[in-house]
Amino acid sequence: MDINLILAEIDAEINNVNSSGGLEQFRLKYLGRKGIVAQLTAAIPTLPQSERAAFGQKVNALKNKLSLLLEEKQKGSIADSSNGESASFDMGMPGIAQELGHLHPLTQVTEEICGIFNRMGFSVVEGPEIESEYNNFTGLNIPLEHPSREAFDTFYLKDYSKMLLRSHTSPVQVRAMKDSKPPLAIIVPGRVYRPDAVDASHSFMFHQVEGFMVDKGIKFSDLKGTLAEFAKAIFGKDIKMRFRPHFFPFTEPSAEVDISCIICKGLGCSVCGRKGWLEILGSGMIHPNVFKHVGINPKEYTGFAFGMGVERIAMLKYGINDIRLFFENDLRFLKQF
Amino acid sequence: MKITYNWLKDFVDIKISPRELADKLTMAGLEVVSLEEKSGDFVLEIEITSNRPDWLSILGIAREVAAITNAKLKISNFKPMKINRGRGLLKIEIENKKEASLYSARIIKGVKVGPSPEWLKNRLELVGCRTVNNLVDITNYILFELGEPLHAFDLDKLAQGKIIVRRGKPGEKITTIDGLERTLSENILVIADSEKPVVIAGVMGGLNTEVSFATTNILLEAAVFNPVLVRRGRQELGLQSEASYRFERGVDLEVAGKASLRAAELIKEVCGGSETLFQASGLVKPQAREIILTLSDVERILGIKISAIKVKTILSKLGFTVKNKTKDSFRIGIPSFRQDVNLAEDLIEEIARIFGYEHIPMSLPRISPRVTIRGRRDLVSDLKNILTGLGLNEAITYSLTDAKILNDFEPATDAIELMNPLSREQGFLRTTLLSGLVRGVAHNLNQKQEYVALFEIGNVFLKINNSQKEDLKLGIVLSGSKKMLLNEAAVKDELGILNLKGAIETLFARLGIKNYEFTKQAQGSKVDIYLNKDSIGSISMLDSLLLEKFSIKNRNVWTLEVSLEKILSAANLGKKYLPLPKYPAITRDISLVLKKEISLKDLLVLLQEKGRPLLRELEITDYYKGKQIPSGYRGLTLSCNYGSNERTLIEEEVAPVHNLICSTLIDSFGAKIR
Repeated sequence: MDINLILAEIDAEINNVNSSGGLEQFRLKYLGRKGIVAQLTAAIPTLPQSERAAFGQKVNALKNKLSLLLEEKQKGSIADSSNGESASFDMGMPGIAQELGHLHPLTQVTEEICGIFNRMGFSVVEGPEIESEYNNFTGLNIPLEHPSREAFDTFYLKDYSKMLLRSHTSPVQVRAMKDSKPPLAIIVPGRVYRPDAVDASHSFMFHQVEGFMVDKGIKFSDLKGTLAEFAKAIFGKDIKMRFRPHFFPFTEPSAEVDISCIICKGLGCSVCGRKGWLEILGSGMIHPNVFKHVGINPKEYTGFAFGMGVERIAMLKYGINDIRLFFENDLRFLKQF
Repeated sequence: MKITYNWLKDFVDIKISPRELADKLTMAGLEVVSLEEKSGDFVLEIEITSNRPDWLSILGIAREVAAITNAKLKISNFKPMKINRGRGLLKIEIENKKEASLYSARIIKGVKVGPSPEWLKNRLELVGCRTVNNLVDITNYILFELGEPLHAFDLDKLAQGKIIVRRGKPGEKITTIDGLERTLSENILVIADSEKPVVIAGVMGGLNTEVSFATTNILLEAAVFNPVLVRRGRQELGLQSEASYRFERGVDLEVAGKASLRAAELIKEVCGGSETLFQASGLVKPQAREIILTLSDVERILGIKISAIKVKTILSKLGFTVKNKTKDSFRIGIPSFRQDVNLAEDLIEEIARIFGYEHIPMSLPRISPRVTIRGRRDLVSDLKNILTGLGLNEAITYSLTDAKILNDFEPATDAIELMNPLSREQGFLRTTLLSGLVRGVAHNLNQKQEYVALFEIGNVFLKINNSQKEDLKLGIVLSGSKKMLLNEAAVKDELGILNLKGAIETLFARLGIKNYEFTKQAQGSKVDIYLNKDSIGSISMLDSLLLEKFSIKNRNVWTLEVSLEKILSAANLGKKYLPLPKYPAITRDISLVLKKEISLKDLLVLLQEKGRPLLRELEITDYYKGKQIPSGYRGLTLSCNYGSNERTLIEEEVAPVHNLICSTLIDSFGAKIR
């Protein structure tokens, strides 16, 4: 076999190869276990000593050239085939990925609310769901046997004296103010309970976010400004807001906060009862009696507090019309968020 | 409460339309929930907050209107009733003056009871009150107008000579005007004559002394009862009335006198007759109260300067007396109808209300910077994101549930019971998240979902001795099979225990937790999870009994519940870099056939020990099935990774170790190497 002849022919030969099968045949012909290169190598020891080195070099050169050619041809064919595949690929075929699960809409809204206040400098604090009557009522200036308790019907625990399921997140105010000294800027998400029969707008278990701030020189105007920022962050910058006087035992002055109806933009529709306004939270300046209960001097410190229902905000935000959907855990519902 | 526009005009000149009035009232804290034109008048329905009993009257709202619109209230100051201690023909006995601070009686003789005149009927109907007869209607008219509930008795049906305000006696009975017989107790305050109880004080009158068309002589009661007693009485009897609603919130002592007088005048005008006696007993006079208010406090609380003149005008329109103390401070006299005002802050709210919350500017508070540390809550939030990344959906289930359902999962002897549940189905606090989650699975299977994967992170509640514990748990439930369309074909992955093992291992990895173990219980399909040798929960398959209870048919449901409290406290979030291997590794695969009873866990542990120190990783990389594998056996591929930190291994070093691995497989586990 004349190595020079082989070297001269292989270029043309590989050019004629046009399938991956053909290429493999070509490889086996030359580089296979019983291929030409192997045969040539095996022939080396049969040559006279003086020719062996030169012949060996030629065989090596052939081997290198073949490897190079094969590599190039292979590269070309991969590129060709992948080009071909993407050209024939139908983008109507579904993509392949792990399907993600979904966070509950109440979690998402809670996180959004807490996130807004976090960025304003508030810290998140949580409290227990089983509370003392003192923290839930007395410490918040809601006296026993007072009509103001009417709004706070509460589940009490059997076998425990004066323990209950908190009917709002406000007891965490009492806890936090006892635990740490002002300045305080705290946001409290959590589950709360009230003995309301379940229907489209009532649930015996729901979620609230409470916020409060205590420092020297906190004013009602700060409450207004803070909540206005919040409303814009969560409902969009065009939202209008109004503060109406109201009564809460633990704040004085107290205010209910309405936003312009996000459904009808304030023109009046069935969601807002044709009023153009939607009530979204209760708020006010922390009552001096609450401060006295936790040992903060109301002459030195002032503060504001506010609380809102997470279900209410979520229902408005997403257009959900039945509170029971939140607790049914229907995947067709959960996967929408 | 309902009021009418024209009725208000009896007390204050209104120059704005009913619509404008409604808006202004709403913005002053008297939320008008409806406005309706009716019978030539306008009816406004207002939600009255529980702190303002004085607003439960036309007069009280007229006073607001005067302040809001800067008009004059058309009514002279009230004078307290003169007390004359019952030495006349009628004796009034109040057993405890703390329970009835005033009891007054007027006797009017020769009245003619009949239908009410049109104007009276009309107004009562507009505010939603049923008309009865002229006499009763007048007492109701005064209740709505002035906020003092009055009561009229048929004098001739009272045992003569005595009115007693006392507690009920056990077993004593009274039939109220609604025709129901009610049993009294010592908790209930009553009005009695010398023989029998005739009224449940402040709540409802008795049928036996009711005014009828035959009545000619009456006794007109105007009284003030203790709010707590009235509240307890009506709660015990399950009764509520316009009268009790007002007494519970507090009726003004001064307005009572005025109401009695005004009612007597109206009775004489409408029903005729003449007053023959007036008798009153009780406390002489409400205490005069004063609060010091400084302008700087107004600004300190509200964040706006309000002028002294404005402050004075607002407060006096609302019925407060204002005297200058210094240039910057006032002595504010609190009228008796404002028992809710006790502090300067209460006055500041009054100023802000009338000044208008909308006129108070907005500012942003200076928040002292505090670096908040990522805490437990942030970790929980990370875990939730990981779980959704694994394809699980977050559920929120009720914390209140049925004790029976809890018991089905595990004996719930430590469950906490509610004293006043809405129903038996919500009588207990949950001791497991699984009852709610499995209910979620059942619901979704009913909706024909092929694949249900839910998790919840929430508290369970346990009774521990005399105390209670809230334990944060993670629950996961899986059912069905997950279908995925890959490049060549669709694969269906039947969910099971390994999906739960994988999920929890992913969380452990995120939290840097290594020292955990899964141990199969001797019986059943339950697997216990241990963390640092402490049991933290388990994985299991619902048994057929539970499936049946939740009406789940032809499906398996896999559950996991662990204490997140324990997991989070074991978290080790510190990280340390290990140098990358300097020398290449050698990988050898072994394909083998094993008896199914052989525990892979034991096998892997032993091989790892035998392969030390060169065996660096040992992994199961494939399972195979097929004709070659006899039943009762399984085929799998083990991938062994050998390496050293000191040098590149050569074949001669690896071979003996790998041979040892293979012979161990054969000798200790009866494996057949393919």
